[in-house]
Amino acid sequence: MSISVQRITKTFGTFRALDDVSLHVAAGELLALLGPSGSGKTTLLRIIAGLERPDRGSGPIRFHDEDVAHRHVGDRRVGFVFQHYALFRHMSVFENVAFGLRVRPRRERPSRAEIDAKVHKLLKLVQLDFLANRYPQQLSGGQRQRVALARALAMEPKVLLLDEPFGALDAKVRRQLRGWLRRLHDEIHVTSVFVTHDQEEALELADRVVVMNDGRIEQIGTPDEVFHRPQTRFVLNFLGEVNRFHGRLENGMVHFAAMACPTPEPNGMADGPAEVFVRPHDVQIDVQRNGHPCFPARIGHVHSAGPLVRLELIADSGEMLLAEMTQERYRALGLAPESRVYVTPGDIKIFT
Amino acid sequence: MPAAPTTLDRSKTVAGRRAGATTEPWWIRGLLIGVTVVFLGAFLFVPLLAVFAQALSKGVAAYFHSLIDADALASIRLTLLTAAISVPASALVGVAAAWAITKFDFVGKSLLITVIDLPFTVSPVVAGLIFVLLFGRRGWLGPWLDAQGIQIIFAVPGIVLVTLFVTFPFVARELIPLMQAQGTEEEEAARVLGASGWRMFRRVTLPNIKWALLYGVILCNARAMGEFGAVSVVSGHIRGHTNTMPLHVEILYNDYEFVGAFTVASLLAMLALVTLVAKSIIEWRAARQMAAAELTGPRDELE
Repeated sequence: MSISVQRITKTFGTFRALDDVSLHVAAGELLALLGPSGSGKTTLLRIIAGLERPDRGSGPIRFHDEDVAHRHVGDRRVGFVFQHYALFRHMSVFENVAFGLRVRPRRERPSRAEIDAKVHKLLKLVQLDFLANRYPQQLSGGQRQRVALARALAMEPKVLLLDEPFGALDAKVRRQLRGWLRRLHDEIHVTSVFVTHDQEEALELADRVVVMNDGRIEQIGTPDEVFHRPQTRFVLNFLGEVNRFHGRLENGMVHFAAMACPTPEPNGMADGPAEVFVRPHDVQIDVQRNGHPCFPARIGHVHSAGPLVRLELIADSGEMLLAEMTQERYRALGLAPESRVYVTPGDIKIFT
Repeated sequence: MPAAPTTLDRSKTVAGRRAGATTEPWWIRGLLIGVTVVFLGAFLFVPLLAVFAQALSKGVAAYFHSLIDADALASIRLTLLTAAISVPASALVGVAAAWAITKFDFVGKSLLITVIDLPFTVSPVVAGLIFVLLFGRRGWLGPWLDAQGIQIIFAVPGIVLVTLFVTFPFVARELIPLMQAQGTEEEEAARVLGASGWRMFRRVTLPNIKWALLYGVILCNARAMGEFGAVSVVSGHIRGHTNTMPLHVEILYNDYEFVGAFTVASLLAMLALVTLVAKSIIEWRAARQMAAAELTGPRDELE
């Protein structure tokens, strides 16, 4: 079931949480809404669910071909996983998962045995069948999260919406659950949208990522697209670390940090001041000039604990920048703090 | 997920946080404990004993004789009737008010929160007079009520109304902080899962607030049965008709019928004791629930 929202605006008092947002989610897709807090991502999710009403004048909210904008939240058949799970604290795990089935109108309600079978099947799916009689307080964060998911799936939702699904978990559990959710999605294939402020999570998990900022969509694309071909400064900045230089465009060349190189692609940008961005892992370092355009610098701090060595560099022209390289290359170059090096920025992005 | 703190476990939290730095020398502790015990003894325990002693001063037979006195029985009946109407009503209004305040945003919300405390801040006599002013013969609605043949002041309806007025904050005040702490996520979850408003309330909200609600109801009941000032103003003191137990105690006492007065008073004292026991049980249950909530779950691991 596809989801499509058009021209959605939402204001809370004087704060504009969403500003004319349109979005299409393909059937069976796993989509991430990524952005900093206050970017409107959770509001958009809640509007899709029906927990929030868009402002008057907003366009339709369609599930498949049907406009559900005026449907009550309970009639939209969405599975919603809340950030803090919102498990019913006085009900056992079993009762939590069964809730959505038990509250159905009498004629649609499955029989006792059917409910029983279904709940156990779902608990098996989330690998928690052995905890059916426990109460939410007796579960760990990761277990609660999976109960919340089973509860949402019990009603056979047409779409699954997850608000910061891993936000309240510690780093290691997050990573485990992330892989698990991806596999689960591939198995049940329900159209899913999840909200996150963690770019790593969005890039790793989603089929497509929607980057949001200030109530607007900055870019929609596959993880590769938004990471490697960011269309705005914001997307570039938000998805991982990036070095920034103030430079100048002149006759198809860009001048910055005591060097000049051709602009990466003929983009018809007018001559004038420009900002040049380079990701730390695209910064190439040599001890001698290597024939490519480069600029001299010296090494400041070195952080070598980790899979990559991170170097703080001070360009002779005064700019600070960050570079990443493998442990092997760091040792092969024989680098140390205060070493003199030549820096070759690769894969530069220019915004005027 | 930390358990939402409620008004019920305040004492527990404070005790749990007591650290060495705030422990006083033995003689200060002794002095404070001594003062407290002497004060409670002199001002609570001794009077309580005195009530029963006086009631039984002419023997058990006299005690029961005053108990089955027609006017005494009438006052007991009226008190029970008043509580039976005003306690459920104030519980209902209290839940509605707490619900409105904690789950919705609307204009005048802060005003409503302030107004809820009004019955606590205003003298009960003034509360009574407000109702006389409204419903009395010369009050605003008096002539119209008279024309309809409805009597409120100096009759049972007036007593119920003022009792409702004085008691209704108990439940609301107990529920508001709890419901604020619990937030609306569970209700939202219930709605998304397709529950109707009523089902959501009955299956999700009510179980979450039941201890606080019961606590409020117990306090509310104690006040409803014990209220003197406001009821005194609107009752008219008609023996056997509009006298509640507290009013009856006063009348008997003024008539020098001490055994009778203290007999009825002893019932009120027993009500207070029952209330205290019920309150302790509820607090204990709620604390246990809270302790269960604080148990940390097993470690996260994917099997």
